[in-house]
Amino acid sequence: MHRTYLTWNSCSLESRHWGQLVLLGILGGCSFSGLFDVAGRERTPNGSAFFVWQARVRSGSSSVPEWDSDVGEDGELFYVKLKSNDEAAHDKQSPLLENCETFKLRNNFKRSSTRRSTKGRIFKALKVRKTKNLENDYTRKKDSSGNPSNVLNRNLIGEDNNKFVVVQVSKNMIFTSEKNCQIEKLFGLSLETHFDGKTLKVADFLVESRAIYLPKVKKGYYLQKINGIDVNSYNINNILQRVAEDHCNPKLTFQIPSGDFNIEIDKLLTSKNITDNSLIQFLKDSMCSVLYICCNDVEYNSNDDKGVLYCYPRPFNQNFLYNTRGAYVTLNHLAPKSLGTSEPITSTVLYNGTFINVSYTSYYNDLLLIAFPNKAVDLFATTRVCKNIVRILELLYGSLKSCFTKPNNVDKLDSLFSQIFVTSLAGNKSSSERKTALSVTNFEDLLAAHAVTLSLEVKVQINDAITELEAADYREWTDDVENFQRLYTVIGSCLYYSGHLLSSHLQDDDLKEINAYLKLTGILRLSVEKDLEKLVLWKEVFICEHRKQNKNDGNEFRIPDGRWFLLLVGRGHFLLATLMEAGGCTEDATGVTPPSPFYVEECESCLDLLYDVGLNKYLASWFSSNTMPQLETSPEYLTKVGRKIRDTSGLKSEGTIKTSTLKLPKFQSEMKKRHNSSEQINIGTSASENATNYGSHHSLYNQWYSGPQKQYRHSSNLDISYSEDSNSLKSNSEISDDRVQGRRADREQRNRRDSSGSDSDWDRQEGSRASSSIDVSDIRKSLLNEIDQVTTHRITAGEENVLFHFIQLETAKGVLIAPVKNIEVQANNVLYSHIIKSFRSACVKIHELLQQNIRFKTNHAPANPLNKILIAVKEYGILFQTPPSILGQCGINKKSESFQFWAVGRVFSEPEPRELYVCYHESVPQDLTEVAYLLSYLE
Amino acid sequence: MSVIVIAVASESGVPIFSRKRGNNENVQFSTIASLHGINMFSKCHNLSMIKTQVENGDILWKEYCKSVTLIGIATGGLECDLELLLSCVHDTMIFCIGKKELENLKNIDQIKRDLRQCYPILDYLLESLDPNAVSSTQPTLTLDLIQSMLCPQAQQLQQALDQYAESVTGRWACLSIHGQLVATSSDFHELDAREARLMLLLAAAQDGAPLRDTPVYLPHMSPNVAFRAVTCKLLADVYILVVCGATPPLSQIDEIVLQCWEGYAQMIKEAKLIHPRNFPTSITFEPSILGILAINVPRRKCVFSRHLNVSNQKSRGMSGAHRTDILRTFYVTTARHLAPELKFKENENKEECSDCISETYWSSEYHKCHAQRSGNLLCCVLYSSTVPTHTMRLITTQILQDLNTNKDVYW
Repeated sequence: MHRTYLTWNSCSLESRHWGQLVLLGILGGCSFSGLFDVAGRERTPNGSAFFVWQARVRSGSSSVPEWDSDVGEDGELFYVKLKSNDEAAHDKQSPLLENCETFKLRNNFKRSSTRRSTKGRIFKALKVRKTKNLENDYTRKKDSSGNPSNVLNRNLIGEDNNKFVVVQVSKNMIFTSEKNCQIEKLFGLSLETHFDGKTLKVADFLVESRAIYLPKVKKGYYLQKINGIDVNSYNINNILQRVAEDHCNPKLTFQIPSGDFNIEIDKLLTSKNITDNSLIQFLKDSMCSVLYICCNDVEYNSNDDKGVLYCYPRPFNQNFLYNTRGAYVTLNHLAPKSLGTSEPITSTVLYNGTFINVSYTSYYNDLLLIAFPNKAVDLFATTRVCKNIVRILELLYGSLKSCFTKPNNVDKLDSLFSQIFVTSLAGNKSSSERKTALSVTNFEDLLAAHAVTLSLEVKVQINDAITELEAADYREWTDDVENFQRLYTVIGSCLYYSGHLLSSHLQDDDLKEINAYLKLTGILRLSVEKDLEKLVLWKEVFICEHRKQNKNDGNEFRIPDGRWFLLLVGRGHFLLATLMEAGGCTEDATGVTPPSPFYVEECESCLDLLYDVGLNKYLASWFSSNTMPQLETSPEYLTKVGRKIRDTSGLKSEGTIKTSTLKLPKFQSEMKKRHNSSEQINIGTSASENATNYGSHHSLYNQWYSGPQKQYRHSSNLDISYSEDSNSLKSNSEISDDRVQGRRADREQRNRRDSSGSDSDWDRQEGSRASSSIDVSDIRKSLLNEIDQVTTHRITAGEENVLFHFIQLETAKGVLIAPVKNIEVQANNVLYSHIIKSFRSACVKIHELLQQNIRFKTNHAPANPLNKILIAVKEYGILFQTPPSILGQCGINKKSESFQFWAVGRVFSEPEPRELYVCYHESVPQDLTEVAYLLSYLE
Repeated sequence: MSVIVIAVASESGVPIFSRKRGNNENVQFSTIASLHGINMFSKCHNLSMIKTQVENGDILWKEYCKSVTLIGIATGGLECDLELLLSCVHDTMIFCIGKKELENLKNIDQIKRDLRQCYPILDYLLESLDPNAVSSTQPTLTLDLIQSMLCPQAQQLQQALDQYAESVTGRWACLSIHGQLVATSSDFHELDAREARLMLLLAAAQDGAPLRDTPVYLPHMSPNVAFRAVTCKLLADVYILVVCGATPPLSQIDEIVLQCWEGYAQMIKEAKLIHPRNFPTSITFEPSILGILAINVPRRKCVFSRHLNVSNQKSRGMSGAHRTDILRTFYVTTARHLAPELKFKENENKEECSDCISETYWSSEYHKCHAQRSGNLLCCVLYSSTVPTHTMRLITTQILQDLNTNKDVYW
């Protein structure tokens, strides 16, 4: 008989397969798990009767939840089960290399750019040959695929100098590639891009090719050179082409990933004790450190370590922060008392040739010091990250003091800080398998929760599901409502998908704290990188309102004296965080409070509901659709040369290769006009598609007629869902009206509406409200399954879309709206990456300057003198000039052609401070007030 | 706003001087000791404190020549220039007593006394961090640029200066009006911009003396051998500076000055008329422009003007001094990014400054600032708030073109 926790333990420690259950949890759960064996539990699902909490909720689940044995002694729980590898592989389509289409696109661009030059004829000839090759490939494939071992002249030259491995692949070998991907065909490899978006990494081997590579080359190695030429994701297509026509056997050079400490975030999250010495060494080497000092005399003298209550990583004498703490403590006292300045915020120090940022946080007489290496976390990021760390500590422990004085808390703090440090350093380390921009030190990740603009229908669906959970209407579950006292009241919840906040019903401060917790501990990252089968987290927290409330305040609106718990449930890429209150009208929570399976199931069923309406599929395609608002991810098309290239390539490649980088196939034919959009919202297809099919934005009207069949299908769908209601029929006819008459009709309609003084949003809502008698889920499905009918929106003025990126930040709410995080990966474009990098660095500058204005207006710091000139600035713009080297990589070699783009930030102080940062091409001047206005329509 | 600069002998911890500007109290001796102690302590642990941020301010330690530690504390001003200020203060100390003395620090009391003569210059330098300081007539606008005037007579004056420098066996000579550089001898640009600035400040500090010579050590050119700087007042607010050797004696120089400059009196008077506008009359400006700061980047020279259009001078709400302040703050905090070669970074880890910024602007409720670079010229222009952004760009481009092509412009 196996004791459960032992089995699971060994699974997660030894097996590298995520296909198995990875589970460590908080091992206190062994007190329960000792009672069962695995098999026995499966056989007797009803054996849950002797669980106290089960009895308390009569209608609770009928089986023991699988996370049950992981509940810690203190009632806390962290349970993760990841989807198995095979299953996940399907969803984990890396947007770059596995999706060969994007490769062809880049390829196409390059090729056509050279086609214009004198080499044109050669390339034409090449193309013909290549198609022949393809045919040959196909025939030969059949022969060779049967027995891969009969390929005789394969060479394996392993240069065992510990860094590089060279493999020569026979030219005669042709591999089968289901995806028709050039790389797979030539080398039998599938590649993915590394986190940096440039380096190529081995993702997998085809079955036939395994024999060639496997002893020497492993998954995760970097493909560095082909035939001695350095390759990266930008130039691989060119090189592949050369290889394809070359007669010599290609030689591949792989780089073994150097001693990069590869940390599995899920292991880190679930392990209770940080006994891993290599992790501690890693943190020591990277100069991350935290120290809490109690500076009053009593503690100073009584404590063995001269007032140091906590220090990590240990041992003390190897921690540079511990060794030099005197300097920081002195400065912290001296600055406000003798120099008349505020307390220090950060210090930059040079230690062992490394620049380190040390942040100060005072708590009465105590001082919390946190240090980060400047390379990974710069000064701007340090202050923000440390502010968030303090938020997390206050959320989890109530105050800094109680956090570091709570008995037997060191292990938990160790694991918390190691999680935070590892996550913060991850920005430039290679621990991620997916190449989403997961750094927590990017400008947009530091300041607030990253939200995205969703269409109204989707927002309604999401909020509907969450509200249902929050309403806690349990009449259906139990008959004797009188005797049933609930355990918790849900006081708010928020939903994340793949690291993006979809909706929040939390108070602003709670959201900020929970967001900081999820982000810095890496849970959010886990939900992006991995496909979660199940994630359950249960933790007692101290909500902000409770902490700030004066105990003796007799206010009748004060919140009850109770306890609060954070319940986090995850599935797929969704994370649902729910804040529970025990107190007031609920049963009192006393002593150790483990999670209630009933509430966990409630949250899970809320996520199920979202799956039911197909939100997971909708969001997956929405996230790659780049529509709300649309960004220009091929910036080179805005130059003269680029435009020519686009036009010629568009003409020549029509019918064979689509120029669009969008994945919405039927998208161009389905244009749904928003009623309430003003004339200025430019609705159009993506610029590239536009060009291919119609030439310019002006021919928009054509599209209303271009796809009659699909329109018909679409409208008939709508008819079905609304058919019982005359009101909605009317609105439906309005829509089709629009479609036929295009803009003119819309304008007329708006005029009509304007005169009646009603807002169009209301019209629509009236319609849907009236139709409430229909089965709601039907409508849900019909709405969300129509993925292809996504409307694109533009928020910049001008004929062409000149918007590259934007960030709208509401600091008070703790929310910012920006394009999806992996937009850069989606674009897969050197120039675009350069633009984003410059934009981020500009945002930091602009943000810091605009803070003076905000601080002055909100009057938070009147005590400290402000520069009177800086406080008046409300808009700050920077025009960047792209270096020719980067333009050259995009095929624009003309000297006269320059590429300039603006990064502009503006603060809107009414009604509450809001900052908008926009990055756009210089060709069309933009008014930021207008952009903000148009953006607000999308919300 | 407050700026404090403290100099301490690194090894002994003896305070050498402390200068301050703004509404702060004097720093006590014990505080200086503690501040120095922090630096010493961290040095023992192989750790150096580079910079500490406080709210709206910075605290900085900097050790020079392994003998002197400068501590700077600045709040509520242009604290981003604090590191540059400390470096300039150090330059000034060398300027006064030479590098050798400063390295040895043998007789601290003597050095303290010697350094007292450069206090006026130090105070001018401190002014540069005060965002609301331009009430003073001294050229303290920025720390890294030489304030100058663009006048059409510069070429002829250069000939006169060459002649003058030759006759006093000197090499570098210049003419300043209202503390601003008007004309230089032909090899004056051999001097580092900061040395030239120190010369101008020296002339300003010797208020009113008709003819004076001072031994100076040029911090970059000759930190160990002293030169003789001779300042001579020609007219009110007009000075001639020359750096020369020990001969000829002052009395002889007096005669040479008369010989050389007698014929140029009229020309200098004409040049003086340029003063508040600082640009040749052949360059005209749009009425929406409230002020301008034009910078020649390789020469480290800047021309500032807020009296561009005489007619509507009074009608604008903003006071002239305030305009100067705005443009200066705009340059220091923002527009300097357009000229990466002007960035002062000694110790900071060199981040790759690959981002090439070609334009930048601010807009506030009351005014707008726009900066654009074209070749060697960088132009910061202050506009009234009614001018749209794209119009600003057009006008600034026009000005830059004017400055590049106008024949009356001699940098």
